[in-house]
Amino acid sequence: MNKVLPLSEAVERYIPNGVGLLTVGGMHLHNNPMALIREVIRQNRRIKRLLTSPCGAFNAELLIAAGLIEEIATSYVGFEHIGLAPCFRRQIESGTLKVLECDEAYITHGLYAGAGGLPFIALPKGIEFTDIPKVNKEYYSTTTDPFTGNQVNVGAPLKPDVALLHAYQADKNGNAVIAGAQFVDRYMALASKTVLLQVERIVPTEEISKHPQGTTIPGFLVHAVVETPGGCYPTSSHGAYDFDDRQIAQYMSIAKDDEGAKGYIKQFVQDMSEDQYLQTIGERLAELRYGDGVLPVALSERKG
Amino acid sequence: MTVSSNDQLAPWSLSELMAVELAKRLRNDDVSIMGTASTIPQVACRLAQLTHAPDLYSIAGGTCSVNPNLGPVVASCGDYDLLRADTSLSLNDVVLLEGRADVLTVFFAGGLQIDAFGNCNLVSVGDWNHPAMRGPGTVGLPFLSRVGRILIYTQSHNTRTFVERVDFMSGPGFLRGPADWKAADLPGGGPQLVVTPLCTMGFDPETLRMRLETVHPGVEVDQVRAATGFDLVIPKLVPTTPEPTSEQLSIIRALDTNGLLKGK
Repeated sequence: MNKVLPLSEAVERYIPNGVGLLTVGGMHLHNNPMALIREVIRQNRRIKRLLTSPCGAFNAELLIAAGLIEEIATSYVGFEHIGLAPCFRRQIESGTLKVLECDEAYITHGLYAGAGGLPFIALPKGIEFTDIPKVNKEYYSTTTDPFTGNQVNVGAPLKPDVALLHAYQADKNGNAVIAGAQFVDRYMALASKTVLLQVERIVPTEEISKHPQGTTIPGFLVHAVVETPGGCYPTSSHGAYDFDDRQIAQYMSIAKDDEGAKGYIKQFVQDMSEDQYLQTIGERLAELRYGDGVLPVALSERKG
Repeated sequence: MTVSSNDQLAPWSLSELMAVELAKRLRNDDVSIMGTASTIPQVACRLAQLTHAPDLYSIAGGTCSVNPNLGPVVASCGDYDLLRADTSLSLNDVVLLEGRADVLTVFFAGGLQIDAFGNCNLVSVGDWNHPAMRGPGTVGLPFLSRVGRILIYTQSHNTRTFVERVDFMSGPGFLRGPADWKAADLPGGGPQLVVTPLCTMGFDPETLRMRLETVHPGVEVDQVRAATGFDLVIPKLVPTTPEPTSEQLSIIRALDTNGLLKGK
């Protein structure tokens, strides 16, 4: 079944305004589905609760900067070695963004529970010595282990309504190859009711079938495939191009107050289509491309 | 990021010195894991592998690749380059293994706040409900409660970072001290080392409070005391941290051709 859609139509059709729980793939400044996210902002889709991977980055920050997020469930939002995410920080400090404080293990295990229809998932000893379960009773609790009678930590299942994910390539049916690190993107696909996939390129099914071991997202989980070459920029797309630390630093200096952040969103997102945006970043993207001979690890033997 | 005050005399950077000090604490049978912004631990592990600990395993917590063939060293723990490695796990695999205390033996930690008992906080400063400063979040720090040994590193040694008690507990060290630590009966061994741009610190075996071990070349004990927001245990004799050897430096610089550690 052909699931290929233009970017605007995929968002229009599958993301209702006020969507309950939306999750965004990628981790740190890598494989963030920015083309889908920019389109969500263009269409002004409000999101009740955003769930990040264990390390959210520009994916979460841009949605927050656009003022579309009411609550965020996360264990990290930032730009790693480059610095803190200004709007995430500011909106929490001012009380306009509510946080559901999580840790990496809960997000990972919670998605697993969501994917498998598990009513909850037991968590190993340790989290109770942190303050995290104390401030997030919606996701963390304790119960009696029926096998030992001991108290155990448990986490609620995470079942996103919509997942926005990036993959290196897919066929029209949505069978997709994540080149490089999978992060928790596969589990986001497994746990979510609706999955929108952006890819660097759409390839024939014959091409996909050559690498079944590397094709880790099956089409039956995917609702829409959008071809968005360069669509992770300014984050990296594993197998295709590196992240742009200069653009992130520029964003940080522009978004140091609310007005600056709004201006950035208007200039680089709302006032241009994705195609126009791609034209403006074209030269920089060419510089960031991985060199010849650097092939997606999922597809070939990696040299060097 | 501070540059060594006597830079003319010291052809090494503080980051390079910190990597060397971390490397010394790694054993040949360790399986170590690191997370966000871990350039210094990456270099420490590779240095250890190339010197005294050839069988050490090192996992980059973002890509979850095992023994990345660093060269050059990269800034991000999720970098595509890290996938040039011996093997690659999924993040789910690594998180699963972190549930046990017997597989991964060393975790490199840090924090916006680090307290006298080695507890770390990456979440918020002040009241969590109305934070004076919101941090990025804890990521995998709760694993500190189970890991064999915790090695803490930070680029900032001042009274904002080193506090008597963390405002938000996001990475458990020795909790609230000996009684609390004993009662918790955690599988992990707790924090072993704290390395900063000024000094190295360990923990007093009785009180479990942070104790000065060595001061870096050119640093005075009083300078460390003043930069620490709690009563640091200070022994009578505090040796100077050895300078990195030329062998160590040449290994580091061969890995770090982008100079991420140099001059910092």
